[in-house]
Amino acid sequence: MADWVDSLESELVRLGLQPGRARHLADETEQQAAESDSPPGEVFGPAVLYARHLVAALRVSSAPARLHAGPVMLSLAGVSKRYRRQTVLADVNLTVRGGEVAAVVGANGCGKSTLLRICAGLTRPSGGSVRRTRRVGFVPQDGGTVGGLTAEEHFTLFGAAAGMVPGRARSTGVHLASRLAWRPGARQRAQQMSGGTRQKLNLVLGELHAPDLLLLDEPYQGFDQGTYVDFWQQVFAWRDAGRAVVVVTHLLHDLQNVDHVLDLGASA
Amino acid sequence: MTPRPWLHGFLDLCLLAMLRERPDYGYGLSQRLAAAGVADIPGGTLYPALLRLEEQGLAIPDWQPSESGPRRKYYAITPAGLDVLAGQAADWQRFRDGVDALLTGVHHG
Repeated sequence: MADWVDSLESELVRLGLQPGRARHLADETEQQAAESDSPPGEVFGPAVLYARHLVAALRVSSAPARLHAGPVMLSLAGVSKRYRRQTVLADVNLTVRGGEVAAVVGANGCGKSTLLRICAGLTRPSGGSVRRTRRVGFVPQDGGTVGGLTAEEHFTLFGAAAGMVPGRARSTGVHLASRLAWRPGARQRAQQMSGGTRQKLNLVLGELHAPDLLLLDEPYQGFDQGTYVDFWQQVFAWRDAGRAVVVVTHLLHDLQNVDHVLDLGASA
Repeated sequence: MTPRPWLHGFLDLCLLAMLRERPDYGYGLSQRLAAAGVADIPGGTLYPALLRLEEQGLAIPDWQPSESGPRRKYYAITPAGLDVLAGQAADWQRFRDGVDALLTGVHHG
């Protein structure tokens, strides 16, 4: 029992709570377990998971008063996609405004990534209409990086495509990386990075030119737990800064904080 | 839809309604929910929900000694909690009427 409470406390600290607050919550949790006269693991489940539930509960209220939704950044009306005779998407409608987060969920193979590519303008829909703002950032599930280039070379290259001078692109990239608790190595090439680090690089590249609409495809795959939490904090920071964010995800854990959930259902 | 998101939507409403009746602590609330036939709710869901109500200023906690064992954290509803309860109760009414209308003529198993 003491072990469970200890690991709850240290996990709360790891998730970013002040040590005093973590201690307090762990004490309370221990007493609440005593209410039902059961060991805490039985009442609350695994300590590591329960810590996340508590942090999510705290996050609801610590979020600043929500801004009014801004202009429409993305609008899909009756979008469908067929490949030969197979229908991948049918009659998809979604409107996302600045200051909103939309989550796209559904089983593997239900067309989530296809939908995101349609949102980005990389795949043409078979039917329906798509309207989007001009400045769009797209973070694909994999690919998007060049194996032989370092992080800073990526920043320069992608920055140039968006009209940024090299110095500014590099400093912006390094700054955005630090928000994901990542310091790019000067000589490390993309092909030498772990999957999680390459995803962070993808995320930074998608955001480099300060887009109004961010399209993210499972960008936390390969992230460790701490970074996963950082990722959602980052999503909500973008939202609070007035951007529109669309996240393709198969984790349903954080959906209580998003504005729209588009469920594409079972696999096509 | 699966039952879990349903419960997520209704849990705060149910908790506030029970607290309006009288202040209560976590385990007492879970027993009342079960007795009402609403849900057998795990502690891992219930206590974070109470913490959420507390953080939003909808319920305030008060530690009280118990006759048997350690002290308990009792929650009481606040005026802001009553406002939210009234609003959510109206939402619930509309939702329930709508579902009832859809279910007209469906035989229960």
